[in-house]
Amino acid sequence: MDNNIEKRLQSLRDRLAYLLDIFPGKHRSSAALLEEKLADFTAYAGSDALEDSYADLANLEDLFAYVERHLENEISPMDKVRIVRHPQRICLRDILENVYDNFTEVGGQDEHSLDPSMLIARAIVTRRRGKKAYTQSVMVIGQEKGHGAEFRNGGSVKPWGNAKALQYMSVAETEGIPVHCYIFTPGSYPVEDYPGAGQQIARNIYYMAGLRVPVVAIISEGGSGGAEAIGLADKRLMLSHGYYSVISPEGAAAIEGDLKTGARATSELIEHCANNLKITAQDNLKFGYIDRIIQEPPLGARPWHYDFYRSLRQEVLRATDEVVISTRNIPIFRGIALSRHRSPDADLDNLHIRWGIPATAKTRLVLRRQQKFLRFSRQAARDRRPFLTKQVVAFYDWISKPWISFKYDFYRKHQRQLKTIIEEIHNEWEMLKYRLLSPWRKLTKKLSGRTDSKAKELTALSTWAGDARRRKWNYISPRYKIDRTITCPNSDSYGCLDLWGPDLFAEFAGVCSHCGYHFPMEPEWYVKNVFDAGSTFEFNSEIEAGNPLDFPGFSERIDKDQAKTGAKSGCMTFEARIDNIKMVVVMLMGTFRGGSVGAAEGYKFVEAAARAQKQRMPLLSYVHGTAGIRIQEGTHGVIQMPRCTVAVRRYIESGGLYMVLYDTNSFAGPVASFLGCSPYQFAVRSSNIGFAGPGVIKETTGTDIPPKYHRSYRALSRGHIQAIWDRRQIRANLKQALLTIGGRNLYYR
Amino acid sequence: MINISQLLDEIKSSPYNEIVISTPHTGKITFADIKEGDCVLGPQGIWKHQPGTQLATLERERNFKPIFAPDKGEISLVHKKLEGLFAEAGTELVVLRHMLTRDEVQRMILQKALHLFRAPERAKYYFTPEADKKIRASETRTMTVRNGMELFIMSRMKREVPLHYSGPEGVIYEIYFKYNANLEIGAPLIGVCSPAHLPVIQDMIARVQTEWFEKTE
Amino acid sequence: MDNTAHKLLIANRGEIALRIINACGKLNLSFTAVYTAEDAASGHVQLARAKGGEKSLFRISSYHDANELMAVADEAGCTAIHPGYGFFAEDFRFARRVAKRDRKLLFIAPSWKIIRELGDKINTKRLARSLNVPTVPGSDRPIYDEMEADRIAKTIFEFQEQQDITHPLVLVKASAGGGGMGIEEVYDPDQFRSVFRRIRNYAMRQFKDEGVLIEQRITNFNHLEVQIVSDRTGGNPVHFGTRNCTIQSTGLQKRIEVAPGFAPDVLDYTFDAAKVLSDIVDYSLTMARNVGYDNVGTWEWIVTRKGQPFLMEVNTRIQVENGVSARIARIRGKGDIDLIAEQIRLGLGQNLGYTQDDITFEGVGIEYRLIAEDPENSFTPWVGRIEHFQWDNAPWLTLLTHVPQAEPYEIPVEFDPNLALAIVWGKDLEQARQRGLQFLHSLQLTGQNASGEKLKSNAAFLATNTESILRF
Repeated sequence: MDNNIEKRLQSLRDRLAYLLDIFPGKHRSSAALLEEKLADFTAYAGSDALEDSYADLANLEDLFAYVERHLENEISPMDKVRIVRHPQRICLRDILENVYDNFTEVGGQDEHSLDPSMLIARAIVTRRRGKKAYTQSVMVIGQEKGHGAEFRNGGSVKPWGNAKALQYMSVAETEGIPVHCYIFTPGSYPVEDYPGAGQQIARNIYYMAGLRVPVVAIISEGGSGGAEAIGLADKRLMLSHGYYSVISPEGAAAIEGDLKTGARATSELIEHCANNLKITAQDNLKFGYIDRIIQEPPLGARPWHYDFYRSLRQEVLRATDEVVISTRNIPIFRGIALSRHRSPDADLDNLHIRWGIPATAKTRLVLRRQQKFLRFSRQAARDRRPFLTKQVVAFYDWISKPWISFKYDFYRKHQRQLKTIIEEIHNEWEMLKYRLLSPWRKLTKKLSGRTDSKAKELTALSTWAGDARRRKWNYISPRYKIDRTITCPNSDSYGCLDLWGPDLFAEFAGVCSHCGYHFPMEPEWYVKNVFDAGSTFEFNSEIEAGNPLDFPGFSERIDKDQAKTGAKSGCMTFEARIDNIKMVVVMLMGTFRGGSVGAAEGYKFVEAAARAQKQRMPLLSYVHGTAGIRIQEGTHGVIQMPRCTVAVRRYIESGGLYMVLYDTNSFAGPVASFLGCSPYQFAVRSSNIGFAGPGVIKETTGTDIPPKYHRSYRALSRGHIQAIWDRRQIRANLKQALLTIGGRNLYYR
Repeated sequence: MINISQLLDEIKSSPYNEIVISTPHTGKITFADIKEGDCVLGPQGIWKHQPGTQLATLERERNFKPIFAPDKGEISLVHKKLEGLFAEAGTELVVLRHMLTRDEVQRMILQKALHLFRAPERAKYYFTPEADKKIRASETRTMTVRNGMELFIMSRMKREVPLHYSGPEGVIYEIYFKYNANLEIGAPLIGVCSPAHLPVIQDMIARVQTEWFEKTE
Repeated sequence: MDNTAHKLLIANRGEIALRIINACGKLNLSFTAVYTAEDAASGHVQLARAKGGEKSLFRISSYHDANELMAVADEAGCTAIHPGYGFFAEDFRFARRVAKRDRKLLFIAPSWKIIRELGDKINTKRLARSLNVPTVPGSDRPIYDEMEADRIAKTIFEFQEQQDITHPLVLVKASAGGGGMGIEEVYDPDQFRSVFRRIRNYAMRQFKDEGVLIEQRITNFNHLEVQIVSDRTGGNPVHFGTRNCTIQSTGLQKRIEVAPGFAPDVLDYTFDAAKVLSDIVDYSLTMARNVGYDNVGTWEWIVTRKGQPFLMEVNTRIQVENGVSARIARIRGKGDIDLIAEQIRLGLGQNLGYTQDDITFEGVGIEYRLIAEDPENSFTPWVGRIEHFQWDNAPWLTLLTHVPQAEPYEIPVEFDPNLALAIVWGKDLEQARQRGLQFLHSLQLTGQNASGEKLKSNAAFLATNTESILRF
């Protein structure tokens, strides 16, 4: 048998193995047919019994192609998950070699890299216009799965790998070249080692929300946080056989099945979750979270699909050009150029658009990107605000804008000068009064009675306006009514005696009187005890958590939690005051579906940030607890990570003060985005902060983590948070933070 | 110089320890599903963060507290007659026959080899706050002590007095006392290993590791 | 009187537990005692075994664990708890829990609100001032502001200079503190600010409240007490006279108490001592009436060399030295009064049954606290084994001890090393002093510790100081 045939046979064997792998236990007859034909051919070819082995081989290849095309129509979402995870799937290096004209890998080489699962390259594209060739540079950033090479860690990027990505994004920004992000990740490697999985993702998202060069993202395997770390792009393309999801179907199944660590979910449950999480490219295009689907060959792209590289190149160039064109200021040119590019017949290699853009266009670019993300997922939350209310709000916005800009931008600026003048006048008056009255003072000085007044001052009852010691809590936990004792979790190491519930939950504010351990308290405790009594004003309570994916059985669970907590979503947004300092507060409540964040919660966050920005008020995120993104909302949930971070960035850049206070347990998506990006993060004692819980870490990394890995004091040592506060001191500490960080006007610019 | 072989032989001749589990405080007793002859486990996991087998539940003031086996062993006695009764503090519940583990043998032998700093009085002992912080924060065997260093607080008669370490400079290799427990006069507080002595200690540990086999039941 | 409906949990140890058991005997009241493993050999355990009925003795893990006491009270069917002194006496949270739990108990002490109100230094001071009861000159509310503090300190220095005090002193203390922590003296006005800052930071760290009190530091004073008794109506408190507790250890622990507080008929004072005594009694009663005080309690006073009294604090509990006041008191002419029995009787809800006019006083009482300690070495406690403990009995002597005489006794290290209280009575000061010395000289107390050193006690210190009793 000649070498060529042997090579092609090997390729067919690979295709068969691939087919068996991605359809485990399914389509047995098709697979059996191919197996049989392949075995037959191999047997005959081996014994040189074939007349025209090339023709027979071509027939066999046709048969393979036919079966693959046939099975293509039967692919389930879970099959797609298996496709993107398969070692035969194209990886980033294949793309660099076949889509770009040349490239230089930067930030490491193969296994000699800070993190081999994050690959970065400067690549070039050569295009022609007429006879002239133009070379364009681009920064390619993406996860490298490396066809299953172990050191690539399956594309699961470590915190420092994401930091490397961020570094080269800023390099691209300096150089003014576009960034192409290829997302090939099942999720980030969830360790807290510096710079910390969650914190680094938050930094990346925050940075990308304002990156001043065009960014195009191409999603093959979009595993939640890991994907978002390089996913906030002007154009988001998706490969037709990829998936983009909040969590792996296995992870979702473990949560849905309420499984203990290490236990395996049944394949039916996993399949069920994969179907209902709506993770495919088609689903995400429908939701609007991606802009376009790039069609792959049947059963998914593999390294030998050269046609696919060509169409990928076309799409990537088109997307980049479109981003650049859309920043142009003159609508008519923009329109013409766009329609030319969007034509399916256009050969992008023969069109040339300069990728460098002027500064004003950069500002428009960023603004467009921000607005794009802010618009996402509104339809996925149930907005029960009456139509009229919405109109009134919109109208009020419109008329109040000029007044607010006068009040803050003009009046505040000149206020100080005015005050100085008034003070000067006052001083002069005091001097005058002093001189006029001095003869009278001399007269009265001689009169006796001063000893008496001293004794009186030192021995008589003084007036004491602010007797704060007897201050009772405005709200006490209803648990105080139960006559029982409670054991402090630290009693083994600190010897705490059992605490009496009525003392613990009322007077002690849920704090162990011996070691200071903080038992979790209800969200109401904070609302009523941290802020001035009666100063809270809730808004947007009508935006309700729903079930946008119609996830089976989930609506009932939402209803149950709404009835239990009396809240309509896991997020309460309100205005409040501390000693008359006004602020906007976003509270994620751990009591409502674990404080998970979905479309409604994200919507309320974005609205609250906008409100704080408009009214020039500090913005506080009080995280009573959050388990992460609400998985049953799928990408409607995960899109809140970039979306809310965009809202934060806009708020901070307009001069706002954004603070975060963590309590109880705060994990995953929200910490890795709109919470973790705050420059001022604090934690309440005994809280846990991190990216993934111990169970998930064990599952993904295979290592056990120490029991106190996520404790707030560890987060403090790791540099994640700025301080740890005693619950009873939150009010005082918040005020202190507001006054020192926020300065005079509490809106620091 | 210590004769390790002889020591090991001595321990091998009676490799068991009796562990008595008593009520930590008053309360009503409910035994778990245990009987004499059962084998139970002590705390598990790398950090011993998973508790051992539950032996009983003690209820006091509507607070149900599990009582776990502190170590691996075979139950030799259960006071089943206490089931459902109110017990005083320190009432014997279960007796375990515990086969010495390699670590315990190692500790026993180390106690003979390390420099022991002993309790000068019958009292409760604590580390000074600074030392306590260091010890809690760092891995064991990194805290160095010097002669004359203020290391402990001795608490008795409601008076707390500082106690200075005396002995050779070295790292704290073992801690022998528990928080809030009274120590008899002369009871060891810490075992200190001087840098010069370290190879000897490591050699001894190696001997125990190779010569002591734990029976797997 | 019928006490069969009640059963008393004695939430204490040692000598006070013994006295409560004896008082229960007088009242025909059943009781339950508790002990810890260290106290198994203590006298109160033996007496409880001898005198107690069913479920009258329980071993607990700690006297400090309220949960143990509640659990035992429920198990033994107790209806009331006597806290003694120390431990849970004056703990308003414990009192509140006893009163508010599902199975309610009586707490033999004032009601928890009174304990809370008078347990707070600032509150007590402000209450006193509102009733024109004299208090130590200085602030009566926590001072947070440095400028204000500075001004007050300056005023206190000037105030003392005006009174010709040669070494004026200012005391700076954390308002949330107690037990001698976070207190500092200032003699130089220039140093005040740095001390103030230090104490304020300490208070912030330690008590999470940076409020500071600034007062005149009074030196050279006598320490007096007024014994108040009232029933649950709170309407008609009476006093059982005054005590002088000036003789103390260097750690300000009382060693000798004498009733009454001064002896103006036989000793000379630089001030009108009789008037001072009657003033502090009146002031104390005024406050007791005002708060509706409803059990026994002690008002503590300091009296300066000029005869100025200042209220220090109110102890809302029975005190160790209650016996010395009882010893000189007569109700309708009858002696042998037991204030602990009175406390229990009133705590269970009975009416007082007599008025101030029915209470008279006779003679002088001296109480010695016999302690294993070394007065020459700053009263360091001595720990070891008592081998021999004996004294001559006399009709004028009451000796209270939890140390068994029949066998040797190992002093437990967990608690105060008090060995015995000796109360001596005489018809006048002279006779009381003589009898006191007679008792101390008859005392035989020997033992040794683990290192073979001989027992040390404060008997010689007590004898030396007997001479200066009631002198100012």
